[in-house]
Amino acid sequence: MTHRTMTVVGKALPRFDAPGKVTGTAVYAADFAVPGMLVGRVLRSPEAHARIVRLDFTRARALPGVRAIIGAADVPDVRYGGAIKDETVFASGKVRYIGQPVAAVAATTPEAAEAALAAIEVTYEPLPAVLDLAAALAPGAPLVHEEYADYTAIPVFHRDGNVCNRARIVVGDVERGFEEADRIFEHRFRTAMVHQGYTEPRAAVAQWDSSGTVTVWSNTQLPFEVQNTLAEILQTPPSRIRVVVPGIGGGFGGKLRVGVEHFAALLARRAGRPVKVATTSEEELTAAYPRQGAVIELKTGVTRDGRITAKSGRICFDTGAFAGSGPGVASVATLVLAGPYRIPNLHLEGLAVYTNKTNCGSFRAPSGPQSNFAVESQMDIMADALGLDPLDFRLRNIVREGDEGPTGQVLHAVGLEECLRKAAAAIGWHDRRPEPGRGKGLACGWWTTTGGSSGVYVKINPDGTVALNTGAAEIGTGALTGAAQVLAEELGVGLEDIRVVSADTFATPFDFGAQGSRTAFAVGGACRAAAADLRPRLFALAAAQLGVEPEACTLADRHVVAGGKRIALAELARLSQQTGGGLIAQGTFIAPATTYDAKRVEGHAYPAFHSPSFHAHAVDLSVDPETGEIAIHRYVVAQDVGFAINPTYIEGQIEGGVAQGLGQALSEEIVYEGGRVLNANLTDYKMPTMLDMPRVESILVQHPGAAGPYGAKGVGEPPNIEPPAAVANAVAAATGLRITTLPITAEKIALGLRDAQAAGT
Amino acid sequence: MSRLGLSLTINGERHDVLTEPHRTLLDVLRVDLGLTGTKENCLEAECGVCTVLLDGRAVNSCIVLAAQCEGRRIVTIEGLAGDGGLDPIQQAFIEHGAVQCGYCIPGMILSAKAFLDERPEGTEAQVREALAGNLCRCTGYQKIADAVVAAARSRARGR
Amino acid sequence: MSFEYHQPASVAEAVDLGARFGAEGRFLAGGTDLIIQMRRGKLAPRHVISLHRVPGLDGIEVNGAVQLGALVTHRAIERCAAFAGRLRGLVEGAEVVGGHQIRNVGTVGGNLANASPAADVVPVLLALDARVACLGVGGERAVALEDFLLGPGHTACRPGELLIGVAFGMPDARTATAFLKAGRRRAMEISVVCVAARLGLDAGGERCVSARVALGAVAPTAWRARDAERLLEGQPPTPEVFREAGRAAAAACRPITDVRASARYRQVLVETLVPRALARCLERIRRGAS
Repeated sequence: MTHRTMTVVGKALPRFDAPGKVTGTAVYAADFAVPGMLVGRVLRSPEAHARIVRLDFTRARALPGVRAIIGAADVPDVRYGGAIKDETVFASGKVRYIGQPVAAVAATTPEAAEAALAAIEVTYEPLPAVLDLAAALAPGAPLVHEEYADYTAIPVFHRDGNVCNRARIVVGDVERGFEEADRIFEHRFRTAMVHQGYTEPRAAVAQWDSSGTVTVWSNTQLPFEVQNTLAEILQTPPSRIRVVVPGIGGGFGGKLRVGVEHFAALLARRAGRPVKVATTSEEELTAAYPRQGAVIELKTGVTRDGRITAKSGRICFDTGAFAGSGPGVASVATLVLAGPYRIPNLHLEGLAVYTNKTNCGSFRAPSGPQSNFAVESQMDIMADALGLDPLDFRLRNIVREGDEGPTGQVLHAVGLEECLRKAAAAIGWHDRRPEPGRGKGLACGWWTTTGGSSGVYVKINPDGTVALNTGAAEIGTGALTGAAQVLAEELGVGLEDIRVVSADTFATPFDFGAQGSRTAFAVGGACRAAAADLRPRLFALAAAQLGVEPEACTLADRHVVAGGKRIALAELARLSQQTGGGLIAQGTFIAPATTYDAKRVEGHAYPAFHSPSFHAHAVDLSVDPETGEIAIHRYVVAQDVGFAINPTYIEGQIEGGVAQGLGQALSEEIVYEGGRVLNANLTDYKMPTMLDMPRVESILVQHPGAAGPYGAKGVGEPPNIEPPAAVANAVAAATGLRITTLPITAEKIALGLRDAQAAGT
Repeated sequence: MSRLGLSLTINGERHDVLTEPHRTLLDVLRVDLGLTGTKENCLEAECGVCTVLLDGRAVNSCIVLAAQCEGRRIVTIEGLAGDGGLDPIQQAFIEHGAVQCGYCIPGMILSAKAFLDERPEGTEAQVREALAGNLCRCTGYQKIADAVVAAARSRARGR
Repeated sequence: MSFEYHQPASVAEAVDLGARFGAEGRFLAGGTDLIIQMRRGKLAPRHVISLHRVPGLDGIEVNGAVQLGALVTHRAIERCAAFAGRLRGLVEGAEVVGGHQIRNVGTVGGNLANASPAADVVPVLLALDARVACLGVGGERAVALEDFLLGPGHTACRPGELLIGVAFGMPDARTATAFLKAGRRRAMEISVVCVAARLGLDAGGERCVSARVALGAVAPTAWRARDAERLLEGQPPTPEVFREAGRAAAAACRPITDVRASARYRQVLVETLVPRALARCLERIRRGAS
C-alpha cells in the first residue's frame, strides 16, 4: 500500500457511463441494428426427451419474407461447451429438454419469422425422461447422454452416466472426527432453480463481410470466449470472428456463453444478410442458463463446548440437459460447504447431474447461495441445540490470519471476525428476539476473486485525456469505472480524463471476462502495470524538457512535477506524437497462483479461492404467524472488500446482490412439472419490486489482499450468497420454525406453523 | 394487412408513420423511429423498461397500440434533457450512484417524473410505491429511491 | 397479432361495430389484458375496436347510487374523493392492481370483461351488489355482477355487446368496506387470495345488519361466501364472530392448487383475511370514517 494520499481511488466518484445511460443514448446489444437486418427466431422442442423422427422445412420455406431456415443438417457437426463439450447448436437425433433449439429462421419481419416457425413440421417420438435428481441418479436410469464417455472434457473430471462431474475434498479422517464429537447433526436442504433476471434479453447481431469475416455485436460478458466458441461452431478461424459488446443490460453470469450469437452468425451466413436474434421472456425462463437447483446433505460433528470436529456432506446440482457450468459449480461448492471454518476433518462432495431440463449455468456466486444456505442454517441449528449463541459459535470456529483453508491454502487478510462483529452489532444482536414473532439471523461466508488474465492499452492524448483500451465488458457493476480510477490515480489525472474503449476482440487486448468478481481487480491490476510501463518514458521525456533528473520526477495534477518545475502530460503527449510515436503503453495482469494441497482434492475444477473475501449478513424481521408473510425491518451486510476503490458502486453491488439473494430466499423459483416450466413469464417468476426490498446497510471492512490493486478483492458476487441462510435463521429465531427448502415462502411458514401446532411441537 | 397513417407527437416533435395496426408504441419508437432510449424486455407490462409518458402519465408502451396514440403527447427519455442540460431527476440518478447496467433507468426516470409531477413532495415510501412497476435487477432499488427523493428536493429548490 | 383496427368516435358507432363483428371482434380499452393475451396467442380477434375515442364512458357519478363508466381507470378509482369513506374498499382494490403504469390505462370495464378469478376490484364490486350494464343493438340491459361472471375469461356479455358501465347503490350509513390481498410480493402481483368485505351495523352499532364477503382467486370467478354472510347477519361484531365467519368462508370455498399457491394455503388465507377485513370495516365504522 502506498503512503501518499489517494486522490482518485477510494473516492465515491460518479461513474463515467452514467450520462449516456440516464439520457437513453447508451446503446445496448438489444438496441443494436444494422441496415438490411433480418429477424431471427428459434424453434424449440416441446418434448423433454424424444427422438426427432421428422423435420421438414418445406412449408415454412414457401412463406413470404423467409430468407433462411437451418437445422442440424445445415450446420457443422460440432460439439462445444465449457468444461464438457456436450452441446450442439441444434438437437440432432434427439431432444433433451423442453426448449432445446431444433431449428432457426431468419425473415424480414418478426411476424414472418413467427409464421415460419409455426410452419416447420416436426415429429417427435417421446423417450423416458429423467426429470429430477432422484430419477437421474437411480440405478438403471435412462441416460441423458448415452455417448457421454466419448465427449471431450477437462481430464480431471470424474464422469459417470448422468453424473457429469463429482468433485471431492478429503482432509484428515472424518470418521475419527465424528468419534471425537459429542453431538452429530445431520440435515438435508433443497434449493430451487432461479434465473438471473437481467432486464435486457440476450441479443446478438451478426454480419458477414466479403472477406469471410463475421462481426457479432452481442451482450456477452465474455467476448473472447464467445469468439472461440463461434470459431468451433462456424468452423472458421477466430481471426475471422470479431465480437463486439456495445453495452449490456445486466448479466450476472447468464450472459457468459453463446446464447444467440451462433444462431445469428449461422443464419446471417446462410441468408447473406445481417441477422438479429434476441430472446423472449419465455425463452429466458425455459432455455437460458439459470442457477442449478440443489439438494444438500450435511453431517457435522461438534464438541459440547462448540468446536467443530468433522464435516461430511454432499451437494447434488441438477444441471439440466447439458453440463454447462455444472462441473465447475460442483467443485466450487465443496469450498463453500467447508465454510470459513477451522475443521480438521472433511469429506465433501459436489455432484453435477444431468436431467431432461434446461441446462443450467452460472449465476452470481455459482453454488454459493445453495451451499451457504445449508452450512449456515446448520450452524444455527447446532448452536441452538448446544445452547450456544450463534455468533459466539461462529467466532469460536472461524478461520483467522494464517489459518489453512479446506484445501490447504494459507489464508491472509482474513477480515471475517470484524465482519461478524460489526454486522451483529449493527443489527442489535444482544436482543435476538425483541418481541413475539420477530427474530434476527446471521450468516457468514467466504468467496473467491476469480483468476484469469487481463491486458490493457493506454494512450495519453495531446489534450491530456487518457485512453484506456480494455477487453473487459462493463456489465453494470461499475468495474471499468473502478479500473479507470486506478489508472487515473497512477497517472496523477482525474477520473474525468479517462476515456474507455472496451470489449472488441479485434481492437482490444484479451480479457478473461466479466465473471467471478474479477474485473476491477484484474483490469485495475493491468492498469497499474501499464502505468508502470509508461512512467519511465514520461519521466525521461519530462526530464529532458525540464532539465531535471528523471529520478526527481513525480506525477500530480495532470503534470510531471520535479522540484519547482512542471510540465503537462498533454504537452508531453503532443511532443511525443511529433517525434516519438506517442505516449502509449501496455499492461497485463494475472494474479499469482494460489498454492494448495493437490492431495486433498479429486475431480476438482476450482481447488482454491483466490484473494478470498469474507462477509457476514444480519437480518431483523417479523413473521405474521397466520399468513406467514415476512416483514424485514433491517438488513445489514459487513463485507471485507480488501480496499474500496469506489464505495458508491461497492454499496451498489451489496444492495443489488442482497436483492437477488432475497429474491432467491423468499419468492423466486422456476417451477417444473413433468419437464415443463409452469411459470415461464414475469407474472409468475417473482422478482422483488421496489416495495419488497428493505434498505440495506453496508459496512465496508478493509483487510487489503496482496494481489489486487491497492489491496482490493472481488466484491460483486458475495452479497448474493448469505441472504437465504440469514433469512432462514431469522425466521427460526422469530417462530421456532426451521425451513430447509428455498424459497422460504409465506405458504411454507404458515402451513409449517400450523402443522407444528397440530403436532404439539 | 392494411397500414394506418399515424401522426405522433413525440418529445414535442411530430412524426408521421405508416404502420400495421398491431404495432405497439414501443415497436414504432424503437424500430421505425430509431428512438432506442425506451427499452424492450418482457412485452407483457410486467417489467416497466418500456415506460413512456402518455399525456403525462406513465404507461407501458409495449401494450399501447401506436394507433391509440394519435393526438396525444408522448414523452420518452430522449425528450427529458433540455437546452439547459440534464433534468434534475437525471442529474440525481448520476449523483446518487443509482445507475448500474442502466437498462431499467429510462423507464425508471420517466416513472419518477410522472410521480414527481403529481406529488412534488415525494417521500421514500411514496416513491417506492410509485416505482413498483419498474423492475431493477442491479441496484436493489436503494440508490434509485434516494435519487428520486433528492430530485424532489432539487426540483423544489428550482434546480 | 394481426387484425383490422377500428376507432369509433361514439358509443353508437362502437355498438354498431360490435354487432357487425360479433365474436370475431373485441373491444380494446387499456389493453392490459387483451394485448397480452393476443401476444401470447390466447386470443386472436380479427377485429379490434378501440374505445379510446369514445366519449362519455369514463365518468364516475355519485348521487345516491354510484355509476362507473366502463372506461374509468383504476387510477381514477384510486383518486376518487367520493370513495374515501364507505367505499374505501374500492380504492384499496384499485390501488393494488399491477403498478402505476397498469392503473393509468387499465379500466374497470376491461377488468370485468376479462373476468379473471383473481381480479382485485371485482370482489369489491361483488360485495357492493353491483350490476353491470351492457349495450347491444337491441338495447341496454343490466345484469347482476354475480350472474355476469360465468367462469375464467367468460362473462354473460353477448358477442358484440359493449360493457358500458357498472353501478351499485351507495351503502347505508354505518357501513364500511375493506379489501385485503395476499401474494408472494408486495406489488405487481396477481392475488393468491383477496378478500372484499362490506359490513353494516345497526343504529346502536351492536349488531351486523348487512354483510358481504367476496373472495378472489378461490373459485372460477370472484365468489361470495354466503355461509359467512349469513353467519354475520344479526350477530354482534366481535372478533369471535368474525373468526367464525372466516372459518365458514374457508370451509365453503374450493380453491385450486396452482403454481402460485396450494389449495390448503388459500383456505388458510381466507380463514385469516376474512376476519381481518371485517375488523377493518368495524374500525372504519367506529371511527366515523363511513
